[in-house]
Amino acid sequence: MASRLRPWLEERLPLADLLETLRHKTVPHHRYSGWYYFGGMTLFLFAMQVGTGALLLLYYRPSATEAYESVQFIVTRVPFGWLVRSIHAWSANLMVACAFAHLFSVLFLHAYRRPRELTWVSGVLLLLLTLAFGFTGYLLPWNEVSFFATRVGTDIAATVPVIGHGLVRFLRGGNDVSGATLTRLFGFHVAVLPAIATALVGLHLLLVQRHGMSVPPSVERNRAADPGVMRTIPFLPHFLLRDLFAWTAVLAMLAALSTFYPWELGTKADPFAAAPAGIRPEWYFLWAFEALKHMPSTLAGIDGEFVAVAAMGIMGIGAILLPFMARNTPGGRRLVVWTGIVMLLFMSAMTALALAGNTP
Amino acid sequence: MRGTVRIAVAAIALSVFPATVRAQTAVETAKSAFGEDVHAAAGLTCAACHVSSRGAGALPIPSRTAIAPLCATCHSDAAYMRRFDPQVRVDQFLQYQTSVHGKRMAADDERVATCTDCHGVHGIKRVNDARSPVAPLNVTTTCGRCHGDPARMKLFGREATPPGDWSASVHAAALIKRGDTSAPTCIACHGSHGATPPGVTSVANVCAQCHVREAELFRVSPKKEIFDALGEPECLTCHRNHRIEPPQDTWVGVQEGSVCVECHDESGDSGMTIRRVREELDGLSAALSNADAVLTRAERAGMLVDDGRTAFQEAREYRVQSRVLVHAFALAPLLKVTTEGTASARRAQQVGEAAMLELQTRRRGLALATLVILAFLGTLWLKIRRLPPPSSQQPTQRAM
Repeated sequence: MASRLRPWLEERLPLADLLETLRHKTVPHHRYSGWYYFGGMTLFLFAMQVGTGALLLLYYRPSATEAYESVQFIVTRVPFGWLVRSIHAWSANLMVACAFAHLFSVLFLHAYRRPRELTWVSGVLLLLLTLAFGFTGYLLPWNEVSFFATRVGTDIAATVPVIGHGLVRFLRGGNDVSGATLTRLFGFHVAVLPAIATALVGLHLLLVQRHGMSVPPSVERNRAADPGVMRTIPFLPHFLLRDLFAWTAVLAMLAALSTFYPWELGTKADPFAAAPAGIRPEWYFLWAFEALKHMPSTLAGIDGEFVAVAAMGIMGIGAILLPFMARNTPGGRRLVVWTGIVMLLFMSAMTALALAGNTP
Repeated sequence: MRGTVRIAVAAIALSVFPATVRAQTAVETAKSAFGEDVHAAAGLTCAACHVSSRGAGALPIPSRTAIAPLCATCHSDAAYMRRFDPQVRVDQFLQYQTSVHGKRMAADDERVATCTDCHGVHGIKRVNDARSPVAPLNVTTTCGRCHGDPARMKLFGREATPPGDWSASVHAAALIKRGDTSAPTCIACHGSHGATPPGVTSVANVCAQCHVREAELFRVSPKKEIFDALGEPECLTCHRNHRIEPPQDTWVGVQEGSVCVECHDESGDSGMTIRRVREELDGLSAALSNADAVLTRAERAGMLVDDGRTAFQEAREYRVQSRVLVHAFALAPLLKVTTEGTASARRAQQVGEAAMLELQTRRRGLALATLVILAFLGTLWLKIRRLPPPSSQQPTQRAM
């Protein structure tokens, strides 16, 4: 059967060319190459999200009256529903963590340099999409915490000049978070964002294959001094097996987290109830949430919240355009590293403050 | 002589001046307070109450016995009061005349309370205004000013009500801690304008205003006749007055410290029934406690036990019913409810136990899966170790 299938496929698909290419493909192997695997782990978690998300879709009902009950049904009545939902939730969080680790490793190893500018841009856009997946998916169980956190989160959009209020209405499907918001965010979560993400992942992988793995400048310098110091490993099977090892370890971690710390469902959202104390967004938005809290009401006569949102917007645009702005000189690279360190410290400090609950 | 007259005039002027100043200050204070008075808001002026036959400018103060009739000239006039509030009551003065306060006042005893003692004088607020002395949160303090004062009450041959009694009650907790403004204060039981102590046989009617089911059960119970014959004040016999504490299951029983033991002992049918009632209450509470423990354990472990919580809530409602049924002073109706309550509690416990069992199964499954994954990781590791070492070749840049 297999002996007949292979020629049939080879006649129609360029499988032989692809295998041949992969057989000859090599990957740099040096003291920093461990960081390469975060990209693969993020991809693996994205695949997990697609798989578990598709399974959840079989039972989930996107309406204010049925969403909570349908998730409750999934975790209590559907065989292994609890596992699928927990893996989906934990996998989402691990995916954000891996994506951040991948972005900062690429930043610190200067892998954004020519000719990989577009790889970097597509990567940053993918990270932003991952955060958008988190934001749109958070409300879907329609529980108390997610309801009020979404209200706070969408409120922030109102600070954008001119289009702010229109943007809030667009996100919410009305003046306040309601069943219309749920349906809208569900649409984004399962249709719009996955379509864009799939296209971007495809582009990102294509560019990675096109340009290969970047070698950090410090390793390049050593190679110039001693050509023997730079080693490579074949993509097949050396790199792929290591990747598989990392994916399996992530899978083991997901299974353990889902079993020992099943994702809570909480209580059903009541739009007419007062917001409970301690409402805060998911951990990856905490730094921004905390930074907004610490902003004064006005800054040089300008609305403080607007200044913070504008600064974050500039930061985002700056991150996307980094390869076009940063100079590929020792001084330019040092500036990028220190900017990255400051950003990382700022985000960590804000997150720690929010977790400690020390906000005034 | 002229000098003596001057000194005398000066002395009189000096003695009159402070009194004039004091009067002036009192008028100013009254005017200021009246600015926030509900009557001022309705367009009334000083002259509406300070009616003088001497013409404008004079402000005679009504005598204490004249205050209630003066207020009644408007507040008992339905046609007049309808202009301000179509649903306002106009029977306050009639009620006042039936009260202990009103009767004494009618007998020219000016020491008892009249309208202004409770509502204030120049800064009168609506009753539902939190600043009013008769607003739900303030009324017990207002009554307590007189009724909590032993010296004042002694004048009437009555004992003062200790101010802390009501504050320590379950009713005070409902009002102050939970903010339930429908919780009873002094006036809910004694009346407001028609304030009078409820008689021994009417106490159950007062309590029945809120505790409807308990009162129904009590009225048809054998205790009703016995209490009436003994002159016992019905509800108050067990629950006391003013300092009404949250009832406990331990009140039922023939052991020391229970309420029943004040009249009953272990002997006879009554002693046995009391013991059985207590056993039933304790049995249901124990079943609830066991169910709660296992449900809480399951919830802390991240399991969803909503069905169990529903059954648990049902069992709690049966417990509430069973505690109410104590007022039937009979075993049969109680048994029916406690049996159903215990069944619900056991159902809740079973859901919790099933969840814990499911958790064990999951963990065993995870242990097995982890072993398989670890074996796979180990195999991968061995495979990677056996691969040829990295070469010193240039990495492929254009792989595709």
